[in-house]
Amino acid sequence: METVLSQYAWLVPVFPLAAFLILLAFGRGMKRTGPVIATLGSLASLVLSALVLIEQLGGADEYNNGFDWIQIGGYTLTVGFDVTNLTALMMVVVSLVAFLVNVYSIGYMKDDERISVFFAYVALFTCSMLGLVIADNLLMLYIFWELVGLCSFLLIGFWYYKPEAKAAAKKAFIVTRVGDVGFLIALLLLFWYMPDHDLSFAAIANVFGQTGLITEGITTLIAILIFLGAVGKSGQFPLHVWLPDAMEGPTPISALIHAATMVAAGVFLVARTFPIFEASPAALDTVAWVGAFTAIFAASIAIAQDDIKRILAYSTVSQLGYMMMALGLGSVTAAMFHLFTHAFFKALLFLGAGSVIHAVHTQNIHEMGGLGKTMKTTAWTFAVGALALAGIPPLSGFWSKDAILAEALHDHPALFAIGIAAALLTALYMSRLFFLVFAGKPRKGASGHESPAVMTVPLVVLALLAVVAGFVEMPFEGTGWFGEWLTGHAAAHEGTALVMLVSTAVGLLGIYLGWLIYVKGAIPRDAVTKRMPWLTRLLERKYYIDEIYHAVFVVSLRAIGRAFDAFDRHVVGGAVRLAGGAAVWTGRAATRMQNGQLQSYGLYAVIGLVILAAAIAGRRFW
Amino acid sequence: MAGSFPWLTLLTFSPIIGLIVLLFLPGTNRRALRWTAIVTTLVPLALSLWLFAVHDASDPDAFREKADWITIALNHEAVNIESSAYVFQYHLAIDGLSLPLVVLASLVAVMAALASVHIKKRWKAFYVWFLLLETGMLGVFLARDLILFFLFFELTLIALFFLIGIWGSLNREKAANTFLIYNGLGSALMLIAFVLLIATAGASLNATQQGGDLVYTGDYATIRSNLTAENSLTNLPGHYENPFALSDGMRWAIFILLLAAFGIKLPMLPFHTWMLRVHAEAPPSVVMIHSGVLLKMGGYGLIRFGVGLFPGLAEEAAFVLALLGAAGVLYGAALAFVQTEFRLVLAYSSVSHMGIVLLGIASLNEIGLQGAVYQLVSHGLISALLFLIVGSLHERTGTTELDELGGLARPMPFMSGMLLAAGVASLGLPGLSGFVGEFLSFLGLFETMKWVTAIAAIGVILAAVYILRSVLKITFGPQQERYAALKDARLIEAVPMIALMAFIVLLGIYPSVLTDAMQGSFDDIIAQLNARMGG
Repeated sequence: METVLSQYAWLVPVFPLAAFLILLAFGRGMKRTGPVIATLGSLASLVLSALVLIEQLGGADEYNNGFDWIQIGGYTLTVGFDVTNLTALMMVVVSLVAFLVNVYSIGYMKDDERISVFFAYVALFTCSMLGLVIADNLLMLYIFWELVGLCSFLLIGFWYYKPEAKAAAKKAFIVTRVGDVGFLIALLLLFWYMPDHDLSFAAIANVFGQTGLITEGITTLIAILIFLGAVGKSGQFPLHVWLPDAMEGPTPISALIHAATMVAAGVFLVARTFPIFEASPAALDTVAWVGAFTAIFAASIAIAQDDIKRILAYSTVSQLGYMMMALGLGSVTAAMFHLFTHAFFKALLFLGAGSVIHAVHTQNIHEMGGLGKTMKTTAWTFAVGALALAGIPPLSGFWSKDAILAEALHDHPALFAIGIAAALLTALYMSRLFFLVFAGKPRKGASGHESPAVMTVPLVVLALLAVVAGFVEMPFEGTGWFGEWLTGHAAAHEGTALVMLVSTAVGLLGIYLGWLIYVKGAIPRDAVTKRMPWLTRLLERKYYIDEIYHAVFVVSLRAIGRAFDAFDRHVVGGAVRLAGGAAVWTGRAATRMQNGQLQSYGLYAVIGLVILAAAIAGRRFW
Repeated sequence: MAGSFPWLTLLTFSPIIGLIVLLFLPGTNRRALRWTAIVTTLVPLALSLWLFAVHDASDPDAFREKADWITIALNHEAVNIESSAYVFQYHLAIDGLSLPLVVLASLVAVMAALASVHIKKRWKAFYVWFLLLETGMLGVFLARDLILFFLFFELTLIALFFLIGIWGSLNREKAANTFLIYNGLGSALMLIAFVLLIATAGASLNATQQGGDLVYTGDYATIRSNLTAENSLTNLPGHYENPFALSDGMRWAIFILLLAAFGIKLPMLPFHTWMLRVHAEAPPSVVMIHSGVLLKMGGYGLIRFGVGLFPGLAEEAAFVLALLGAAGVLYGAALAFVQTEFRLVLAYSSVSHMGIVLLGIASLNEIGLQGAVYQLVSHGLISALLFLIVGSLHERTGTTELDELGGLARPMPFMSGMLLAAGVASLGLPGLSGFVGEFLSFLGLFETMKWVTAIAAIGVILAAVYILRSVLKITFGPQQERYAALKDARLIEAVPMIALMAFIVLLGIYPSVLTDAMQGSFDDIIAQLNARMGG
């Protein structure tokens, strides 16, 4: 079919960019109109990307266009954009969540005096994220990849006067940069190994699809280095430490950047470069195991946290682990499906949490309670999100998580077991969170009030999406069109009945346990703490990873810096002083030579003559 | 198009015209002095931008200006030699290597002239030295005669010496002395290398009927062709009879002398300590020029004279150069991380960034060399912007000690935003110029030395660490009472900040502006290296 609108897909990131530039130039005087401009920018992106998606759904051809960016000698670096089913889908997800978050923020940030700065950053982020999605080659993706990282940094540190926000912003930038260096080196490797130095995804798919063009060792190396970038951005172990701290940013940002879009960019990156991973079984295994470990590791931490946003952040880390596991199992469909549903229900949960925080001005779940009565819309939409996350049918999270678990059962029973265990923990921490916040009686006098419509309408929209988004791919005959559309072949559905049964049972068990503990009180809350205080502390302290990193990296870098500093002052600087001193000393010595005695002048003349003669004689040896 | 009008001479010496005007102004009329200087610096900027626009790499002689300047006849008694003489030329020209740096120099000069609003005393003398400095640095990039180059190079040294020594902060005299001695040492080494070159490869015989005229010249092209042409006198076996021959040992000696001379300027590890004091003591507008342009003369010299004249030796030394570069990247970054004075953070960050230039040079391929020049230009713009901001900050807070600063984003949102933007440009954020220079340098070196590149790439993380540490320390954090009443940037401060930032963004988004201008500049070097490999 003809591509009509897809040709203009490059405009999708341009709308928010225009909004950003307007806000940057005139933002100070636009406290009221600024937010509207940014929201309109994201709405324009949403409309156009939806049209592009409809065109792609209608079977339009893929579209690619671009131009040369740098040309040096015989080498060319290009920029361009790609409209494929995958990118069209991602564009809609990103612009939809961005639009809803923009609307929500009009209410949430209304009293902040720097509201136009906030919306400028959000617009820049939206532009960069959309640019990342439609990039047609790895270098361009890297450029936008760094830009979304910058926006994330700026928005985490939006309340710059808070020391915690400052520290969190810095940490986010630096930790993700560790992964980015891996990505950068992968780029360098690809540039020199790819035929014609072509970094486009089409060429990558072509080259790595054939065996033998690039050796397996190099393939694995490139794949692992790209994955390192994804690990940093998507908060996978061991670079997950920045994501929970990133919750210092305004809550709409946590929903947009640190739940739905940017952190999923790592998953998107691996999906986009999947032919490289497919060519290396070792790399796939690494991805699967890192993902699985992260899934259960982060879920276990989430159980012991008290901050509503941190619980959700660890939950995000854990769910991203699921997506990585799916990729490692070779299923782009399952990973992208979970990314798709997760974007909606996790954005919903964060915005719901924001609504709660907006009402009670605390983030500690032990200081909340009974909010279900006063905040009805927030409560039921939050319940939808929580159930979707816990994997209860027929909500969206159930279908997408099942798709991953079915892949795991098919290929790797051990990973399946880990996935099920993490699912149990997920249901448990979400029921703990939900019951402590919305059930029971108000604690500490915080009764709360419902948020304004500008905030609750996005919640309702996202809740609807969290319900229905899963129906695009169901494990029954003839219902798996999402996978077929995305990857060209339908996913296998073997033993899915078993998976559905087990995962539903586990999800319900987790919720029941939570109910017993936090509502009924049948199991005392400190049962575990009493018997195994070390375990609770270990989880509360997040396995002491931050402390270990501080000791290993920060302290040692500082020590190295100090040692170098001393070396620089005394040894290198000493040599400079010596040079300076030598000049002065020579001057003094030469002054002393001017002593007026004819004999010494004669002596100097003879010495000079000898040196000259020696020099001339030495000329022959040159 | 160019005609015979001496555009390059006008470009180089237009600051001198302004200087003469300045001399007739009363020394107390601060406004008149300042605006005369600012307007004067606009002339070379306009000319260099025009040259940049019309320059055509395929026609390198369009703007060449050449005239015999100094002729020293020698009383030569050799057989068959009619006459012999030293001939030094006044010879200016542009090419893809020097043009970007000329634009950089004239641009930074305008911005620094604007930023000199913070100078407190002896304005007339300040602007006189300032304009002399500008002529010196423009001349350095345009000169194509070794002696002329040397003279311009020394002019910058003298001008900067007075600018530091008179208008610097507390320890200014000590800083000026260290600067002069250390750079003087570098110049001495350069002079030795130049004299050796002139006396050997600079010689050319013009055959006449009776015999020939022997001319020793400092002409870059002559020396270069003598060094590279297979059957030139320089390359014929060296005997008593052929005083023009250069043995391998002598070549290495000259190469190492040049390396040291320009390495000091760049600065290359371990020759960097002299510039720390300059960064900390010189007035910020002078540091803009120093860090923004003068350090670039080191990189320029390394490429023009080191690699340009001795590509073969450069290839043999490439690994060592790359190691020195990588060491500079990491060493500078680690040191920048522990500094408590912001200016020293920036000084060590320059060491780190100039390490990247060295990496690009060591690659000896077109991508890397262009990356090195790109990095020179980009770092010039970024460090000029950073010191512009430092100057305005210092003017308000009276300090650049990190421990005494904090929370400035509230009273000064514009300047803090600019500082943050300059900071992320410095740490190599894509979309800004620093990334392109860094990326091209890494990309070039990666072809030949993968491990060195990978290790140096760790510097990318460290840059984020030290930049964010210091920039956030200044701008973020709770507001401090004593800074609550500070005013944000005035128009005269904001304009150069925006202008520099605009260039940084332009080069980051559309690098072809610069890379197309450099296209083909390194063809000679590359061709020669390929020939070496082939033969």
